[in-house]
Amino acid sequence: MADTAATAGAGGSGTRSGSKQSTNPADNYHLARRRTLQVVVSSLLTEAGFESAEKASVETLTEMLQSYISEIGRSAKSYCEHTARTQPTLSDIVVTLVEMGFNVDTLPAYAKRSQRMVITAPPVTNQPVTPKALTAGQNRPHPPHIPSHFPEFPDPHTYIKTPTYREPVSDYQVLREKAASQRRDVERALTRFMAKTGETQSLFKDDVSTFPLIAARPFTIPYLTALLPSELEMQQMEETDSSEQDEQTDTENLPLHISTVGPAFCLLHSTPKTHPCCPQPITLGSRHDLPRASGFVLGT
Amino acid sequence: MPPTGLEPARMNRKKGDKGFESPRPYKLTHQVVCINNINFQRKSVVGFVELTIFPTVANLNRIKLNSKQCRIYRVRINDLEAAFIYNDPTLEVCHNESKQRNLNYFSNAYAAAVSAVDPDAGNGELCIKVPSELWKHVDELKVLKIHINFSLDQPKGGLHFVVPSVEGSMAERGAHVFSCGYQNSTRFWFPCVDSYSELCTWKLEFTVDAAMVAVSNGDLVETVYTHDMRKKTFHYMLTIPTAASNISLAIGPFEILVDPYMHEVTHFCLPQLLPLLKHTTSYLHEVFEFYEEILTCRYPYSCFKTVFIDEAYVEVAAYASMSIFSTNLLHSAMIIDETPLTRRCLAQSLAQQFFGCFISRMSWSDEWVLKGISGYIYGLWMKKTFGVNEYRHWIKEELDKIVAYELKTGGVLLHPMFGGGKEKDNPASHLHFSIKHPHTLSWEYYTMFQCKAHLVMRLIENRISMEFMLQVFNKLLSLASTASSQKFQSHMWSQMLVSTSGFLKSISNVSGKDIQPLIKQWVDQSGVVKFYGSFAFNRKRNVLELEIKQDYTSPGTQKYVGPLKVTVQELDGSFNHTLQIEENSLKHDIPCHSKSRRNKKKKIPLMNGEEVDMDLSAMDADSPLLWIRIDPDMSVLRKVEFEQADFMWQYQLRYERDVVAQQESILALEKFPTPASRLALTDILEQEQCFYRVRMSACFCLAKIANSMVSTWTGPPAMKSLFTRMFCCKTCPNIVKTNNFMSFQSYFLQKTMPVAMALLRDVHNLCPKEVLTFILDLIKYNDNRKNKFSDNYYRAEMIDALANSVTPAVSVNNEVRTLDNLNPDVRLILEEITRFLNMEKLLPSYRHTITVSCLRAIRVLQKNGHVPSDPALFKSYAEYGHFVDIRIAALEAVVDYTKVDRSYEELQWLLNMIQNDPVPYVRHKILNMLTKNPPFTKNMESPLCNEALVDQLWKLMNSGTSHDWRLRCGAVDLYFTLFGLSRPSCLPLPELGLVLNLKEKKAVLNPTIIPEAIAGNQEAAINPSSHAQLVGFQNPEDDHLAKEASCNMSAHQQGVKRKADTPLGSPLEPGQILEKNEDSSKVKLKIRFSNSQDEEEIDMDTVHDSQAFISHHLNMLERPSTPGLSKYRPASSRSALIPQHSSVCDGTPTTKPQWSMELARKGTGIHLGVFNLEGKEQSPLEMSMHPVATAPLSVFTKESASSKHSDHHHHHHHEHKKKKKKHKHKHKHKHKHDSKEKDKEPFTFSSPASGRSIRSPSLSD
Repeated sequence: MADTAATAGAGGSGTRSGSKQSTNPADNYHLARRRTLQVVVSSLLTEAGFESAEKASVETLTEMLQSYISEIGRSAKSYCEHTARTQPTLSDIVVTLVEMGFNVDTLPAYAKRSQRMVITAPPVTNQPVTPKALTAGQNRPHPPHIPSHFPEFPDPHTYIKTPTYREPVSDYQVLREKAASQRRDVERALTRFMAKTGETQSLFKDDVSTFPLIAARPFTIPYLTALLPSELEMQQMEETDSSEQDEQTDTENLPLHISTVGPAFCLLHSTPKTHPCCPQPITLGSRHDLPRASGFVLGT
Repeated sequence: MPPTGLEPARMNRKKGDKGFESPRPYKLTHQVVCINNINFQRKSVVGFVELTIFPTVANLNRIKLNSKQCRIYRVRINDLEAAFIYNDPTLEVCHNESKQRNLNYFSNAYAAAVSAVDPDAGNGELCIKVPSELWKHVDELKVLKIHINFSLDQPKGGLHFVVPSVEGSMAERGAHVFSCGYQNSTRFWFPCVDSYSELCTWKLEFTVDAAMVAVSNGDLVETVYTHDMRKKTFHYMLTIPTAASNISLAIGPFEILVDPYMHEVTHFCLPQLLPLLKHTTSYLHEVFEFYEEILTCRYPYSCFKTVFIDEAYVEVAAYASMSIFSTNLLHSAMIIDETPLTRRCLAQSLAQQFFGCFISRMSWSDEWVLKGISGYIYGLWMKKTFGVNEYRHWIKEELDKIVAYELKTGGVLLHPMFGGGKEKDNPASHLHFSIKHPHTLSWEYYTMFQCKAHLVMRLIENRISMEFMLQVFNKLLSLASTASSQKFQSHMWSQMLVSTSGFLKSISNVSGKDIQPLIKQWVDQSGVVKFYGSFAFNRKRNVLELEIKQDYTSPGTQKYVGPLKVTVQELDGSFNHTLQIEENSLKHDIPCHSKSRRNKKKKIPLMNGEEVDMDLSAMDADSPLLWIRIDPDMSVLRKVEFEQADFMWQYQLRYERDVVAQQESILALEKFPTPASRLALTDILEQEQCFYRVRMSACFCLAKIANSMVSTWTGPPAMKSLFTRMFCCKTCPNIVKTNNFMSFQSYFLQKTMPVAMALLRDVHNLCPKEVLTFILDLIKYNDNRKNKFSDNYYRAEMIDALANSVTPAVSVNNEVRTLDNLNPDVRLILEEITRFLNMEKLLPSYRHTITVSCLRAIRVLQKNGHVPSDPALFKSYAEYGHFVDIRIAALEAVVDYTKVDRSYEELQWLLNMIQNDPVPYVRHKILNMLTKNPPFTKNMESPLCNEALVDQLWKLMNSGTSHDWRLRCGAVDLYFTLFGLSRPSCLPLPELGLVLNLKEKKAVLNPTIIPEAIAGNQEAAINPSSHAQLVGFQNPEDDHLAKEASCNMSAHQQGVKRKADTPLGSPLEPGQILEKNEDSSKVKLKIRFSNSQDEEEIDMDTVHDSQAFISHHLNMLERPSTPGLSKYRPASSRSALIPQHSSVCDGTPTTKPQWSMELARKGTGIHLGVFNLEGKEQSPLEMSMHPVATAPLSVFTKESASSKHSDHHHHHHHEHKKKKKKHKHKHKHKHKHDSKEKDKEPFTFSSPASGRSIRSPSLSD
């Protein structure tokens, strides 16, 4: 009875898997496991008194069983990782089962029930080895203070630095030149591209390609583009806000201003240097510091 | 007379000081404005107003109100229907299709039209009859409630709709509408008493879409949703009595920001701009604090609103408790240059809240007090915020401006007094417009007026001290606020009005000083003072002999008598002397203090108490004088030309601490290109304590000096080493440091120096290669990544610098500019411009400053002959939809092109834009730019100057701009610049100069043209012959003649009549008959020339507004002889033409076409149509005629009898196209010398374009 079902099942899947057998070892491995599960289901059915079962229902039950077991495994793994272990222990499984609403106490009795059928162990097939992803060099062994169950070091190229022997350019002038020409190239390429792909205007009737001007295109709401700072500028703003104006090779005569309060226009209007009664306030942004009439009155 | 709040203190005033007397026989106390529907799609507004008035005379039976543009449906007084008349003479200033075309005539007519509806004289466009049922009620002086239902459809002025054409609902599109206009323009959007002197309380209601916000004056009482929740009504109450002219409105999907510092202040901006709004307005509360403190008076209104809108009419417009700003004033924290400008705008508008909105003016002649006070306190704010240097610099700048304007155009009169209204004593006869009304003023004059007003206020302050000045202001304000709280005593409200005499009275009360001479000099009189000063030092007497001359005969100048301060800096110190300038004394002896010759060790004390060491070696050993300044405090509105030695100017530049003195010496040093001047300037440039604007102008002066001494110049180009030292890296001097604009003084200097350097020229008058490379390097190494601020202005100035370096191209035989012969330097420049301009498309800069600079630079390259001159690029940038700054820059280039290349096509394009552009500011600006840079002027021969243009401009100012005072005055300015005051020289004989009598075969000279002596004589000589030709030409086709003659006659007669009663308001009986024809003819036109018909209709619309239609019908009913009628004359005379054309097109193969054209010339003055035969251009007007004119011609050519004529015509056409210039020259030639030919070819002169081709056949005969 059960055999028929089992064999039918096994046979069915066998034929199907047969065709796939040659395909890859991983499939093979999984099929073998599945087949075992099917046998288990069939035997349980037999045990429960069924004489035959439709293939579809056996498949469904197998599916259910498989997901149940998978869930136990997943959950148990979580519990074990939660307690910072890599290998699940019995207690993990128990907690899992409890969590899933299974009465663990009934388990020993069930395991020792009389009418149970013993199923042969599934055929030993090798766990398929996942091919190693391109390893480079020898992974370093753990130093002695690291327990061996800890994961291995990653590939050496991810953390080992390769010394090069050419000094990177740090000459200020060269850097600036490079940055400038790079930016120009990018801008030029970009605008040329835009000009090539879109409509253009030209200053010379005889030649439209040497100085291509991207055609003027009216906006529906012109003030938005004109007034709102572009995203690039915004980004720049944030950057400069977080990092103060960085040091240049010759910053010595850059005035140092700490304040970040918006433009303070009092600074623009310094009074003559030697004037006694009006020391120009250097504190920016605080209007109360401004002298009422800056003190510079002629003829007094 | 009504009780007009005469308080005892005011009673004892001199004649003409009797408080306020209302020009109206009633007092307005309250007005309700309710706009219940605003349609953005159709741009229309529907609503009503309700005015509560109290009659002040018993027999009040007519009530005059102001209303323009509005369509009025119904008027009720106390719920009784009232009859009303609507007549707006300013719609079309000169009627009768007058051929006068001279500006004198127009200006008079315009002034008359404006005063005919002037609310300050109690007039108005809308005249309402009080129903007879109410007469008794009125006699008891009981309250009247006038309820007027009106609508507004596609307003052209007063209210401006901005509706971007994108997807989405109106709110999503950012559509908005706001009120705008020049001076009192509220009548454009609702009926009211549009005067600054008629105050009342207000209730304002606006029903708008739920997504929109309506902002208006006063307190927002509540917002109520309609039942369907799709709309809501904003209820505003303004309890402070306010003039209708100070009422405003802005509706849009605004983002709202309550000021974090002052909760009664609210800011509004268009969607997405909120962050900018936050930053921009974060400063406003300080301005509030400042004004409240100096005026010791709280802000008078309970709330304040700022609204930032697009397509603004002016940058700043102040209304009661609300100001409307251009959205382009908004900026982020990264923008340096715009920040002070925007803050100034904010401060300006707030000053006007106190003086201008809260305190209003009694009459137009008191305007200067308000503008003066608001300008003056704004100046005080500038002084406090930006420092004394900036303030003095600004005063100097304003002074220079007004002096330059007055010397150029003639005086600006602050307080015009009009005795009896006679034209004789017009105080401004030198001007081409009347100054009696704000609406007839040229815009430039008005800006100068404001400038002078605040300068005069400053002069008063000089005289009576600032303390007293502020006390006067405080007094005015507290009087006004007491009056404003008198809710039920409306007669007290006139205390809120300021008048010249009241203001002066306050001054004398508060200060006890007599400022009458000062007022007489600067307020009652126009003109500025022009001093020429020179001196000699008399060693023996130790006396400085100063000679001060005045020029008071040139236009715009006046004689100054009174004290004048002179400051002399001697070795022993600085001494002030007050000279008395009198009629005949030119020489003034000033004793010098410094007896001892130079004492080497001693420091020299300066005016401000400072003591400095000077190198005195440059001095004249005999004289102790270091420098001399005339009127250092600018206490006279003057221009000083003072002569002193170069070393004195140099000392003045180095050691005088006053920025004005420094600026003056920089200007003077331009004339002394010596190494010593160079040194003084470079020293100033390096001095960081020196005011940055002085340093900036020193740059330009240095460039000029360097150019003058180019042969002896040693060392690197001027400023180069200085710039390198200040802004370039120490290790690599050709690379500029990465930008850091934290120090604004250095920033401005860094921006300016390259611009000035680019002006340097070598011996070949070329920009030195070194300089160009330097600037290109600056651009190349510009790096803004680590900067807190945007570098857009900096980059823009670098492009300006490139443009400055361009010199005229060496051209060989007028070769065509192509890429191959491009100068290599120019190629580099062009490369940069191209890159910048293209990058702007991808990463636009703030306000597109870079695009603006690029466009200017391209025009410079074109003008200098490096790049082919072509307006196409600019025209594309000038289109609607670009940012306004770009448009203006592009238009400026087109205007310049029009002038340089004398392009008729571009001029037409510009004129077309003036008429049709959606943005009023741009239209105004084009007129302004054309006036500043005119394609030709009145004394110039130009191919552009022709009859069609005259007609076009005439039409523009006569009727095309009736919806915008500013625009009309701009058109008048342009007309004046192009043609002058009298009849434009390019015009042919006045129409109907000749009256043709076919029966008697006689020609009589039209009497109206006789006064124009010279022209008239010539015409007299010409006309008889033309008559003879006319007859001779007719002879072969006698049968047609019979038919045509009748038509011709009627047209002529009609024209004669019209001419005979040229002045305003003449009735035309035939016109009425013909008018009926018009309809049928129009229908015909529709059938025949469907394409031209559109044009015809548009044309009609511009001339005849909808109200005109109403008024017309009203006039028909009430007064059959109002001027309104005659509007229909052009149309009617057109109608006389059109049936003929259509009959011609039916295929009658005769010479009729010529006749119809003849008619066009003779009877109706549509020269354009005929001109079109030859010119390439087609204005809308011409379009309507075009098919008419060409079709008959083709028929005509088939006629063998007259083929000669047509041949000639075609030939002429061809020639004209090809050699326009030569053609013109020919005309000129003939006109000037060929008196014999005059007989043969009379119309050469009279109508260069049209007459000749038609007439000339007979020449060959």
